[in-house]
Amino acid sequence: MKRGFPFLLVISLLVLGLILPRGARSLMVQMMAFSIFAMAYDISLGFTNQCSLGHSVFFGAGAYGTILPMLHWHFGVLPSVFIGFLLGLVLAFLTGLISVRLSEAYFVIVTAIFSAIFHLLAMDMTWLTGGDDGLSVTLPKIGFGPLKLSLYHPLGTYYFVLAFLLAGYLALRTIVGSPLGMIFVAIRENEKRTAFLGYNVRTYKLIAFLISGTFTALSGGLYAVSLRYATADFFSLYWSIIPIVWCLVGGLGTLIGPCIGVALMSLFQYYVSAWWTYYLVIFGVLILLILRVSRRGILGYFIGRGARGGWRL
Amino acid sequence: MPEGVGFILFYLINGLIWGLIIALISLGLSLIFGVMGIVNMAHGDIYMIGAVLSFYFVSLFGNFWISLLIVPLIVALIAAPTERFILRPFEGHPSVTMIATVGISFILQQVALATFGGIPKKISSPWEVSFDFLGVSYPGYRLLVAAISTLIIIGVWLFLYRTSLGILIRASMQDKEMASAMGINVNKVLIGTFVLGSVLAAIGGVLAAPISQVFYLMGNDVILLCFIVVIVGGLGSLEGTLIAALILSSVEGAMAAFLTPTEARAMIFIIMVAVLMLRPQGLFGSKRT
Repeated sequence: MKRGFPFLLVISLLVLGLILPRGARSLMVQMMAFSIFAMAYDISLGFTNQCSLGHSVFFGAGAYGTILPMLHWHFGVLPSVFIGFLLGLVLAFLTGLISVRLSEAYFVIVTAIFSAIFHLLAMDMTWLTGGDDGLSVTLPKIGFGPLKLSLYHPLGTYYFVLAFLLAGYLALRTIVGSPLGMIFVAIRENEKRTAFLGYNVRTYKLIAFLISGTFTALSGGLYAVSLRYATADFFSLYWSIIPIVWCLVGGLGTLIGPCIGVALMSLFQYYVSAWWTYYLVIFGVLILLILRVSRRGILGYFIGRGARGGWRL
Repeated sequence: MPEGVGFILFYLINGLIWGLIIALISLGLSLIFGVMGIVNMAHGDIYMIGAVLSFYFVSLFGNFWISLLIVPLIVALIAAPTERFILRPFEGHPSVTMIATVGISFILQQVALATFGGIPKKISSPWEVSFDFLGVSYPGYRLLVAAISTLIIIGVWLFLYRTSLGILIRASMQDKEMASAMGINVNKVLIGTFVLGSVLAAIGGVLAAPISQVFYLMGNDVILLCFIVVIVGGLGSLEGTLIAALILSSVEGAMAAFLTPTEARAMIFIIMVAVLMLRPQGLFGSKRT
């Protein structure tokens, strides 16, 4: 049963693409792109206890890194997504170098400042980003030898993003299950003791931050591809906060948890934002309630049997 | 547009006056962090609430100065239960408090959006006198703001260094457990500090309302500068916060003479990064935080 579950999930995702109506399918595409973001964010918050508010930088960079090469140099979709991915890596490295060596409170604040400054700059540099209006792009067809995949075909985007989601999940699963992932967890559980064991905590925190930032950029790129559009708004603090909500709703320290969080929150947003403009109030209340119950999120609460100190700080 | 020395002086004074308002708000932020370990993401929204309430009082009574008296009281009444019943369980964990205060920030912003609306509004200047100085005409209200802010900062300083509650607050900043062991009523200190910090932000909002636009997202802009200030000055260091607020705002003000506001802000950001590279704990911060 337990072994068959992931297999079943993949099959149902594959089938869902065929049977879902148009609106639900595009919501699903969005959820799959966000799931990569949520898992990537959890590598930072759930696995190494680095509460970053700067992930909108990578999300926005991934989106523009993907859109701009297609727009200006007529790159293909795949190379463009890869460029967005690399841009995320570079930015995560630069911001990580400055921030991972700081203490917890400084880290939180400095990453929030990064997010705010990048948002200001993106809004200001309209010649590059299109500002608030953003930039639209026409997606070229993807060629696999003689086969041509058009992302304008209703199913094209779905399976395109799904492929990345599965690949992203497998990659992150491998990292989390590897000795490197064990070190991440060790840092989360007790940073000082991990340092005593001889691990260079700063380096491993930077590695986690890099992985997290890079996959966030991938998610931003895919989201931009699915919308065929990128806006400076992708850099706003909202995109740094929403992954925290996903992880808290789903559960910290797992990969599936954040995806469940994405699904729940996207459905919630989809239905509630339609009839209530001020639904962010509910977000706020939800954050406070979940934190009161368990700092590992809902799934983490059930796994840890409600251990209050689960998310050690 | 004025020219020469007066021109630069105009921007410098402008920056310095904003610096005093920013110093007020950042002092509150720094106090709250120093005593409770709360990274208060909602601090900018309390500033916004101050400005919005001030707007309502001005349109209700037609008098700005009443709002300067009443708004801090209202904010104090909101802040005390917020600390006691919402934030208390999270205190001491910077990340958790940050997430929790983001939640509070969402709530405050949306409530303001729902009641006040999404369109920026203006309050007319309560003191329409201007002074001529080196060929530049300078609005009197701004100078008054500078004077009021300076008085309040001196007042806060006297409170913290001369009164018994102030000494309790500073003792708790240095070592909360020890302070508690010495028999200090920490409950009183925690509520008092959060109220004081929030009131400072609200007063900043009231004072800033006539010289900027009242808008439900106006806090975001200010909290960014305040965070840069406390990071450069050193988290939890009151002297550092004050000095950093005045210097950074003056520098930003002077640069606004040559650059766009965003470019000037980016320069301040670069200064912050440079300070962090050299001193990860800020200019006046202790290694502990």
